[in-house]
Amino acid sequence: MTDPDILIVGGGLHGLSAALHLARAGRRVRVLEARQVGAQASGYSAGGVRTLGRHPAEVPLALEAIERWHDIAKLVGDDCGFRPVGQVRVAETEAELAQLAKRVERLRAAGWTHEALADAETVRRLLPAVAPHVVGGIVARRDGFASPLRTTRAFGRAAMAAGATVIEGAHVASVERRAGLWRLRTDGGETHAAPRLLNAAGAWGGRIARAAGESIPLGFNAFQMLLTDALPPLLTPVVGAAGRPLSFKQSDSGHVMIGGGHKGQADLDTGEIRLDVPRLAYSARTALDLFPALRGARIVHAWAGIEGVTPDELPVIGRSAVADGLVHAFGFSGHGFALAPIVGAVVASLLLDGPEAHALAAFAPDRFTLGGPAPETRSALLQPAG
Amino acid sequence: MTAKPRIVIVGGGPAGRAALAALPGAVQIARPEATAWHAEPGRLWVEGDGQVWAEPFDALLVCADEPLLLAALGCAIRDGRVVADADGRTSLPGVSVAGRVAGAADSQEAERQATIAACALAAGPLDTDAPGIPPAETAPVLRLDPVDIAALLEQPAGPERDRAALAQRAILGAVVPVRPVSLAALASLVAAMPEAVPPQTDTGALA
Repeated sequence: MTDPDILIVGGGLHGLSAALHLARAGRRVRVLEARQVGAQASGYSAGGVRTLGRHPAEVPLALEAIERWHDIAKLVGDDCGFRPVGQVRVAETEAELAQLAKRVERLRAAGWTHEALADAETVRRLLPAVAPHVVGGIVARRDGFASPLRTTRAFGRAAMAAGATVIEGAHVASVERRAGLWRLRTDGGETHAAPRLLNAAGAWGGRIARAAGESIPLGFNAFQMLLTDALPPLLTPVVGAAGRPLSFKQSDSGHVMIGGGHKGQADLDTGEIRLDVPRLAYSARTALDLFPALRGARIVHAWAGIEGVTPDELPVIGRSAVADGLVHAFGFSGHGFALAPIVGAVVASLLLDGPEAHALAAFAPDRFTLGGPAPETRSALLQPAG
Repeated sequence: MTAKPRIVIVGGGPAGRAALAALPGAVQIARPEATAWHAEPGRLWVEGDGQVWAEPFDALLVCADEPLLLAALGCAIRDGRVVADADGRTSLPGVSVAGRVAGAADSQEAERQATIAACALAAGPLDTDAPGIPPAETAPVLRLDPVDIAALLEQPAGPERDRAALAQRAILGAVVPVRPVSLAALASLVAAMPEAVPPQTDTGALA
């Protein structure tokens, strides 16, 4: 194998998107994936492609990403199962609706018009099966959903077609920088070296950063999802709720996916996950409260993926504050799937010493130790996982 | 005084009936009245009569052909079958099998196995680890998309479906649920939103 210019730790969606952009820029890229491509959060997410409800710092990235999603087949040669069906966040009380209205006002004041307030009648037109107590909501009509695993594999195929190498089963056991090179040793004993390194290791990103000499606080969650049996058409847009965690959509096959943020327990050392049945039950209850037509449905699959979560629930995207040639892109906190097409381009630019075309200060790796996290440390709305 | 261990039997066929006869006082979970749809160490999740509940156990004897249930507990699986010794003990202490899931070819063999497994289970755990039981198989399979897994699990239970589902276990962990469970029954388990829990912390290092 020819020595690479850039090593990427993590064969998830963000690592592969970066690999694609770097390989197309003519760089020799090697991706080290501990298990299989998309084995963790990238392949287990709810697949939400969402500008709706984003933290203000993420809005510019999300808006640029959604444009790329609408042309995703041009980028990766596969439509990734992307369905631009829109997303709706429903309000179950007048207080929630007022909160949503304020958000839309704030966004408009900042020049963003992608979210629109919807009254109860509009919501019911979009979601004929929604429960009668829903009083309105907000809508982002260009949003939608895609197939997470198919998307991740499509990015991987496109990256490899552009010349990137993806090595699966390459669990990185040590990281060091010596003589201008990042040297990564896997637990199989192989050593890989390159002048540049991208840390896209998801929930394990904090460990890679620490091994490189940089302490970035990162926790993790095992976000749980449910799938019902195949049902007759029930809804078209992706649905969230203003007051409780929910991500709710129906696939082409009729299976209804219910997620949003209730957590199981995970073990980062083994990768094992234990589902929390009462929390799964509450996800089911939320879905049933909002869509009573689900009463006869049966749950046929439940799972969880491990996702890195930062203290402010914003990702870490940027150059290392302490080490040369190191860029981080991890900690997407359960809502990074939709951002992948643009984040890959952003981090590729950073690795190629390009200008920061986007405002990245809110995502800076050192924000927790310098000036503290972004001023608005909580999103205006709940961020449903996926 | 030591509390009597709580033994749960899954299955109402010949093996299940024989096990119950040998273990009077055990709790029997048998379809169609009650369906075991998920298992965790020490706890069986059951659906019946429009409700979902947790059935705690100290010892579990699975007499129904439910390899996915045993896999969910972490029992060793080889070639798509649960691995057990001659007394029906699986690789997991306190969990035993009898009947078709243990390879019985007919009801007489299933009853015989169940009686042996019940007596062994009642006698308590072995002093040493169960001999000769290899670790769970880790076949290098390609992960299926969750919707594809859902479609697989919607198929009627049988050796082929179970083998395909078990192959995913190496990547996914437990395949849940092992039998479809009513959304409404599951929803009835909780009345209020569970308290939010913070993210798990990680101070670990590469290894």
